[in-house]
Amino acid sequence: MKLTVVQDLVRYRELLFQFVRRDISLRYRQAIMGFGWAVLLPLLTMGASLVLRAVAFKGGGSADAPPLAALAVKAWAWGFVAGALTFGSQSLLSNISLVTKIYFPREVLPVAAIVTQCVDGGIGFCVLAIALPFLGARFGLAALWFPVFLVLLVLLVSGLALLLAAANIFFRDVKYIVQVFLTFGIFFTPVVYDPSSFHGMARAAVMANPFAGILVGLDLALTRNLNLATTHMAGARILWQPTDLIAPILGTAVLLVAGLGLFRRASAWFAEVY
Amino acid sequence: MATSGRIAFEGIWKEFRKGPAHDSLRDMVPALTRRLLTGRKDQESSSRREAFWALRDVSFDVGPGHCLGIIGGNGAGKSTTLKILTGILQPPRGRSILVGRVGSLIEVSAGFHQDLTGRENVFLQGAIMGMRRDEIRRRFDQIVDFSGVGEFIDTPVKRYSNGMNARLGFSIAVHLEPDALIVDEVLSVGDASFQHHAFKRLKEMVHGQIPAVIVTHQLNRIVELCDSCIVLERGAVQFHGSPEAAVSAYLHEDGSSQRENPPDAPLRNLSLTPGWEGVVASGSSLELVVAGEVARLLPPDYRIEVAVRRVTDGTRIHGFCLEHAGLDLPERGPFSWPLNFKANLNTGLYQINFFLHSPVDQRAIMEGPRVLLQVEADRTFIGDVFMGLAAR
Repeated sequence: MKLTVVQDLVRYRELLFQFVRRDISLRYRQAIMGFGWAVLLPLLTMGASLVLRAVAFKGGGSADAPPLAALAVKAWAWGFVAGALTFGSQSLLSNISLVTKIYFPREVLPVAAIVTQCVDGGIGFCVLAIALPFLGARFGLAALWFPVFLVLLVLLVSGLALLLAAANIFFRDVKYIVQVFLTFGIFFTPVVYDPSSFHGMARAAVMANPFAGILVGLDLALTRNLNLATTHMAGARILWQPTDLIAPILGTAVLLVAGLGLFRRASAWFAEVY
Repeated sequence: MATSGRIAFEGIWKEFRKGPAHDSLRDMVPALTRRLLTGRKDQESSSRREAFWALRDVSFDVGPGHCLGIIGGNGAGKSTTLKILTGILQPPRGRSILVGRVGSLIEVSAGFHQDLTGRENVFLQGAIMGMRRDEIRRRFDQIVDFSGVGEFIDTPVKRYSNGMNARLGFSIAVHLEPDALIVDEVLSVGDASFQHHAFKRLKEMVHGQIPAVIVTHQLNRIVELCDSCIVLERGAVQFHGSPEAAVSAYLHEDGSSQRENPPDAPLRNLSLTPGWEGVVASGSSLELVVAGEVARLLPPDYRIEVAVRRVTDGTRIHGFCLEHAGLDLPERGPFSWPLNFKANLNTGLYQINFFLHSPVDQRAIMEGPRVLLQVEADRTFIGDVFMGLAAR
């Protein structure tokens, strides 16, 4: 079943491309707004995290305080998650006139929203890449882990977006739930803090969130040049241990399979329910 | 163009539920909780959602080179049929078959985004309809030419008039090269000259080697395009046969005039045989044979009258008493009268019938069979209607 979805997406790649092109060109029609989407939002997240960091970690002087480069990477990644889930969960409803009138594999819509967000993220990353050396990042070979976590992040978000987009057709209030999730999710996800500040069960609880492992992994691979196949300590604090990979991989697999499967089963009802 | 396309329905049933389901968690969660706590179903919500059948056992099969028309009143199931054909809805029972790449002329500008230019929308809508980019690029000039929006192609479509919007959408759709064609009520797009132009193009597509299914309220188009037609009524196939017969059946299913004459009717074996086939040019000379048998002695004032009605609105265009042509009914026995007349009519679908008329009672005693006449006028047609203008 999962294969037929992939085949459908390949067969309808033209449509996928056109939807992405439509959304991109609408978003970037006004250059300033386009820039805002890609750069300003992560910058705002970063600013907010700087404020929090200053309050929580005694003006940033504490040893627990996350480095600026880490904040930048994680703010960027969280921006992608927020955008992808917002647009992805709305993708079916905002194109409902097409869904009820013309046949195409419905997966195209949420997937197009994710791809659009990837383009946005790509532009944001260009800015990030320029800024990182000035924020104290150390590049190295371990940066090869970065794309691995990026793929995990995109797949995880895709699975969630498929679920939410389908749920949105049946329950009109899902969009509010998504917004609540995104507003509070940032507190439960190590964006402005590091899981290394926690010990034992507390750290395990933080890392049970699949987003946590991915965000931390992205940061450590890109800005600290850490090989994530081994354990890394900073004094008594655990920066990373290989078991941190379990939640991201498991979470991604479960959500992606559930997302694709449930979406396909639900899609027969989309035109009927609306 | 492939010749293997096929569109078919095998015993399709489709049910819808009346009334709303829970469409938000805000409604559903309390209902579920109540059900869990009290252990019984929400009476109100389950009784409101009875099912009704939108389609009941509908079957048809359209092979390459054939065109099926579907007519019926609002809510008869026409759109549901097309939605099942295109795969938007799934039937719980029966099988819907569509072989080959389908071109659907349904909601031809549904994919347009108001902020994008005409050019961008052509590519977007083309992709939604299943065209590849190089295909669209190759036909782009043709599409724009056909639509007649040429100079505005780089303007956002929100500045287009409704007509321009629809014309552009239609142009994209008719430049597909499908293996099977599905058309829903898009024949009334644009002004008269565009409609003429569009209809010609549609006719070319339909008469290629592909199967086609057409839904429209323009009954004359059904007669002109299709070689068979079904009449849907409340989800069931009421009639399946020639387009002419289907249109007649559809127009008279409302019971405005009885088709069945009683067995003791004064006339029997009535027939009306047209001497033409297909579409007739305005002004051409036509033949028609009126025949039947007088079964019993008739009052002397009874006449046979031939009437012509416009199908779309039922207006009586012309009536003619055959007595004036020197044709009197025999006292008893068969009669057969070949008639000549001129189709001095504008483009449209007309119905000719005859009936036994009593001038004394001012009413029709009984009615004979009907035939349809499809007229195509050139655009210089000037019609004359006698309205009894006289000096006072």
